[in-house]
Amino acid sequence: MARIPHIAGLLLIAFFLAFPLVYTGANYDYVMHVLITGFFYAILASSWSMLAGYAGQFSFGHMAFMGIGAYGTALFCHYFYITEAPTGICTEFGFFGNWLVIKNAIGVTSTTLTQDCLQQAIDGWGDTVRVWRMPVLLGIILGTLAGGLAGLLVGLLVLRLRAAYLALFTLGFSEIIKAIISAEIDITRGQAGLVLPPLYGEGLNLFGLQFGQTDKIPPYYTMFALLLACLAILTWLSRSRFGLFVRALREDADAAAALGVNTTRYKVIVFTITTAMAAAAGAVQAHYVQIVTPNMLFLLQMSLVVAMAVIGGVENFVAAALGAIFLQIMLELLRTSFSIGGIEVDMTVWRLVFFGVLLMLVLRFARNGLLAPLIDRFARIGVAEETIAKRKARQEAQS
Amino acid sequence: MHPKRNGGPSVQTPEIFWGVILWMTVWGVLGSVLLRRRYFSRDLDTSNVNFAGAMAGAALGPIGVAVLWARTPKLSGRITTFLGLTAVVLIAAAFSFADPENNCVANGAFRASQFTNGLIIGIIYGFMALGLTLIFSILGVVSFAHGEFYMIGGMLVYYITVVWFPGVNPLLGVMGACCLAFCIGALFERAMLTPMYTGKIDRPVEYGILATFGLAFTLQYFVQALHGASPVKVQRYIDFPRWEFPAGAESPLIETRRGNLTLFDTVSISNPRFIAAVTCILVLLALLYLLHRTWTGKALRAVSQDREAAAIAGIDPNRMNMLAFALGGMIAALAGALLVQAFSWLPQVGAIPAMRSFVIVVLGGLGSLPGAFIGGILVGLVEAAGTGCIPDAQKAASYIPAYGMIVLTLTLLLRPTGLFGRRFASGAHGQGG
Repeated sequence: MARIPHIAGLLLIAFFLAFPLVYTGANYDYVMHVLITGFFYAILASSWSMLAGYAGQFSFGHMAFMGIGAYGTALFCHYFYITEAPTGICTEFGFFGNWLVIKNAIGVTSTTLTQDCLQQAIDGWGDTVRVWRMPVLLGIILGTLAGGLAGLLVGLLVLRLRAAYLALFTLGFSEIIKAIISAEIDITRGQAGLVLPPLYGEGLNLFGLQFGQTDKIPPYYTMFALLLACLAILTWLSRSRFGLFVRALREDADAAAALGVNTTRYKVIVFTITTAMAAAAGAVQAHYVQIVTPNMLFLLQMSLVVAMAVIGGVENFVAAALGAIFLQIMLELLRTSFSIGGIEVDMTVWRLVFFGVLLMLVLRFARNGLLAPLIDRFARIGVAEETIAKRKARQEAQS
Repeated sequence: MHPKRNGGPSVQTPEIFWGVILWMTVWGVLGSVLLRRRYFSRDLDTSNVNFAGAMAGAALGPIGVAVLWARTPKLSGRITTFLGLTAVVLIAAAFSFADPENNCVANGAFRASQFTNGLIIGIIYGFMALGLTLIFSILGVVSFAHGEFYMIGGMLVYYITVVWFPGVNPLLGVMGACCLAFCIGALFERAMLTPMYTGKIDRPVEYGILATFGLAFTLQYFVQALHGASPVKVQRYIDFPRWEFPAGAESPLIETRRGNLTLFDTVSISNPRFIAAVTCILVLLALLYLLHRTWTGKALRAVSQDREAAAIAGIDPNRMNMLAFALGGMIAALAGALLVQAFSWLPQVGAIPAMRSFVIVVLGGLGSLPGAFIGGILVGLVEAAGTGCIPDAQKAASYIPAYGMIVLTLTLLLRPTGLFGRRFASGAHGQGG
């Protein structure tokens, strides 16, 4: 009986694996999109719950690290190219017989330049010189590393202090990241956003099936695989000695320190890992939606991640991930506005109020969330009987 | 992260400025690391030495570090303050050498006006942060809904004076907004925060952070759902009379027009900000009176110092918690109610003031009331300097949250306890001292 959560988990994974292949209902692309976004939020919510629930470190900057990942790969793919011949006008370096070209930043409002230097060079060349984009995978990896590095620096600065300082600082940090992205229009194109190449540039050919650029199936499985990878890493972390240290310092940092746990170091490691996960999710999502704008860093997104994790169960990252998928689907279902007695109810906003109230109610009356107790309950079925049976056996053996 | 950019439109020799900054940074880091090691190895108190060492290095370079090194155990607040001021003066001097034609270097009147307006807005910031620090000192919770209280303060004034009862005296609107905010704060505290005190919750601090964050989220979208996303603004509350002092002079020392106050014919202060700052000071005095002269205020301070002892003396800490949270929310709402006549108001307007309040309370020391006020003025001045001096005006405005963050980062690096914080620095968690 205690195996029910494992079996249910496997069934759920099988369901999500099979779903895009067997689903034949209406709005196929839309349903897939909702699920992909759900997986994206699931990665964020589960890594955040590792940080908040396991390590007890409340960061409100998770979305900022996600944004660093997204903008990391966006800037990389936007500014770096490889060409066969030197352009002569861009910043460029020799690169294994070809040339690594860095485009100049022209922004969106430049009056003197309407084309970047690479485009000018391509116009001059015609079709004679080949130009390659950077591989998307490299961009995603670099974005992830950038997010992890930023997490490391923020963590080193703030994590030696108490919990409130981290929450305060990360909230400000995410505002700053948003301000920088919005203000440095030359480089980031501000609100106009950066356009990214799709995840699989030339489409994908798998098992004899041809998938185009806009097909939802490849990004669906990519995001799902990333979610599973993150959950696997988190599970492994939480079961290891490392996870025990982290939980010890959540319960009582002073006692853990007295027992020889280098609390700051473990907090920084957890923080770096989880921020890198957020950055990876952001980078993949950016290539999936193919555009990044500063709007993805609105505090609303962070609030949603917090709500998802808390409603799922903040101390259990699987529950948090399920909560995220569940809430994302709910958000889409509650989108349709309606009117009662002539009063138009704008559900696009009211649904957020609904989630805010739900978040507070769950916090107040079901502190472990709605899904985590369910999982625990099934995991504990039979444990009591087993213990009693063992004790009886021992007593009989003694007597 | 630094907003200034090399080769901006009007900076002529940026190398000087960046060279000085680099020199100060290198010696500041060296000074703070070296002195900390020395104090550590001698088993001395290291809580102040980071800041002092960094300032000595930044202000006087190797000489400063060497002097502090030589006279190791002696470190007074006065020396540290002096060194810190020298460092600020050095940065200003380097900036004026690097960019002599900048408005805030060449134009004395502009400088005076930036300074005065920074001071005025700083008083309002400090007042708002006071609410946050009051909540923290008593409940041990950083209220993440502070910005939303600020927002509903302004929104309520708009609704009371413009929508519900058009033409009503703005004073009534402000008072109504304060009362409602007080009630919301009290209700929220009763409904959500009470489990924190009974020990039912394993980690009350984290619970408090999440609960107030949830309140912020709910309030913001509730207002947006009711009101929509259109910005509102309120007429200014009071017109200044037409008045000059001394009367009839060529360039009067003080001159008031309906929407403006001019000092020495150069510094112009807009009416709404002036009224807001004056009201803040008055309410602050009233608050000080409440805290130091009345039974309730003394009880509040007693609870913030020692919960159990206060309970033994017959004070109900639970009621003080409610009062503190409601008062803190009301202070933020009052700040919003006073500033709604100066800025246009949106449901999202609270985010940046809330962040600024966080910066201020950390700079002043979490839980320290005078620290919050002085921190507010400092942050107001830093923001005025930032917006006034950065060559590219458009960027200077978009980076307003960044100035506070630079201050916050420096505070956390050099002196995490803040200017006045000692006892509360490690976080009193709602129970116990």
